[in-house]
Amino acid sequence: MNRRRLALLALVAAVTTLGGCSSIGVKPWQRDLLARPAMAMNAYPLDAAIDDHLYFSKEASSGGRGFGGGGCGCN
Amino acid sequence: MQLKKSKRSVRSALMAASCALIAAPAIRAQSPDESADGDWQADSALLYYKENQGRVQAIEPVVSLAKDFGDEHVLGLKLTYDSLSGGSPNGALPSHSAQTFATPSGSSLTAPTGGTQTYTTPSGREVAQLERVTLYTTQPGSIPLDPNFHDQRVALSASWQQPLGAATRFTAGADLSHEMDFMSAGGNAAIAHDFNNKNTTLSLGANFEADAIRPIGGVPIGGSDYVLLEKGGNETKTVGGGQLGLTQVFSRHWLAQLNYSYDNSRGYQTDPYKILSVIDAGGNAVGYRFEARPTARARQSLYLENKFAIGRDVLDFSLRYLKDDWGIRSQTAELRYRWDLANGAYVEPHVRYYKQNAADFYNLYLNAADPLPQFMSADPRLASFKGTTFGVKLGMPLSDSSELSVRVEQYQQTAQDVPLAFGQLQGLDLNPGLKSLVVQFGFRFRF
Repeated sequence: MNRRRLALLALVAAVTTLGGCSSIGVKPWQRDLLARPAMAMNAYPLDAAIDDHLYFSKEASSGGRGFGGGGCGCN
Repeated sequence: MQLKKSKRSVRSALMAASCALIAAPAIRAQSPDESADGDWQADSALLYYKENQGRVQAIEPVVSLAKDFGDEHVLGLKLTYDSLSGGSPNGALPSHSAQTFATPSGSSLTAPTGGTQTYTTPSGREVAQLERVTLYTTQPGSIPLDPNFHDQRVALSASWQQPLGAATRFTAGADLSHEMDFMSAGGNAAIAHDFNNKNTTLSLGANFEADAIRPIGGVPIGGSDYVLLEKGGNETKTVGGGQLGLTQVFSRHWLAQLNYSYDNSRGYQTDPYKILSVIDAGGNAVGYRFEARPTARARQSLYLENKFAIGRDVLDFSLRYLKDDWGIRSQTAELRYRWDLANGAYVEPHVRYYKQNAADFYNLYLNAADPLPQFMSADPRLASFKGTTFGVKLGMPLSDSSELSVRVEQYQQTAQDVPLAFGQLQGLDLNPGLKSLVVQFGFRFRF
């Protein structure tokens, strides 16, 4: 029961947060800076993939940003 | 008359202007920038990676291609090749005396003398008839590294993105990866929907991966005595996961992304080449055991990335918290500052800080007097450590459609909570950590 309440609370919080998002942001003509390639969320996908692979092979954590491409036996 | 003429010319000027406005999109569609969308966009890199003390070094060329077939129908292809060599730590502790190990690696399995060999373990036990096994000796005081480590990896991935309605995008992808002793195939799919004038994007994705593990010399029995070389057949592993993401534009200068990821791995997750030293009360190595890890692992992570436009510069700051049911908890913070120079060139310093605690079953060594645990590993990647990265990237446009870049990074791992050395282990660096250098040349162009 407690778990259900917690899940309901999380859902309400998520919906409220999303609702709150509708009042923030910019108008289409204010996207000059955001539209620059360097402001893209994954501006250098190759660097990110290389970093993910290097850290995957040296640390116990990986991912988070997006899906990794292909597993590795990394010794 | 004069007035009439003037009225007519104003009217025709207005008409011409309206026509120009109506025709503008058609004219814009033919501008060089827009037509370039139909070209292939290539992103290539050559990576050189080198660890200190003669450990692993890698050369990795990568080519990624993307083509927009119009209306956001985008095909992506990526080919990666890895060539690795050097010494990989086998998990055993250093010792004040020389230690001899058997290499599991493929082409070097044949004994140099061609016949049957014997070798004596540090405890004085002689093991006979190790056929087709090459031995290597680690010098006193050195961390045991298998000097014959080498591997090649070829990975291919493809993706397709297309819109589903005005505000929804669908992406599907497939990956294939092949090594001498490992094969992996995977697929993923994601859907993203824009709300609130494209200021908010909600995304949901799922991925699946199936791996085949075929170690050189077979899969060792987990926890078995190293000198007996008890090995079985090949193993498999599957990974299934999902990711929920929210991207929000907060202002003209700030956007952020929050991801929650979950994945679950089932099957063989032990490193077949790693062992642990068995240490007696005097600090002497009296034997070795193959490591053994649980066959299930569930991981969750929260990832937050912020991008700030500061004039022409861009600040990127991200945080990640990860936990799994092996007892790993890790925190990562990363900062990049893209400093725009004249003519589109840029310099981007980068700092990364990483911290993890040890897996529940991690042990630097096994105590000879203790009962054998079910799971055990001395792999430094499962130890408690801090990792720091300092780097810089320099980018330079060569033309309107090409860019050259160079990236140099240094990574350092510092072990934490290393047990105190006792007896014969005193004076030895039991977990020396790791230092590595990354140099990457990049070239982006359209054709």
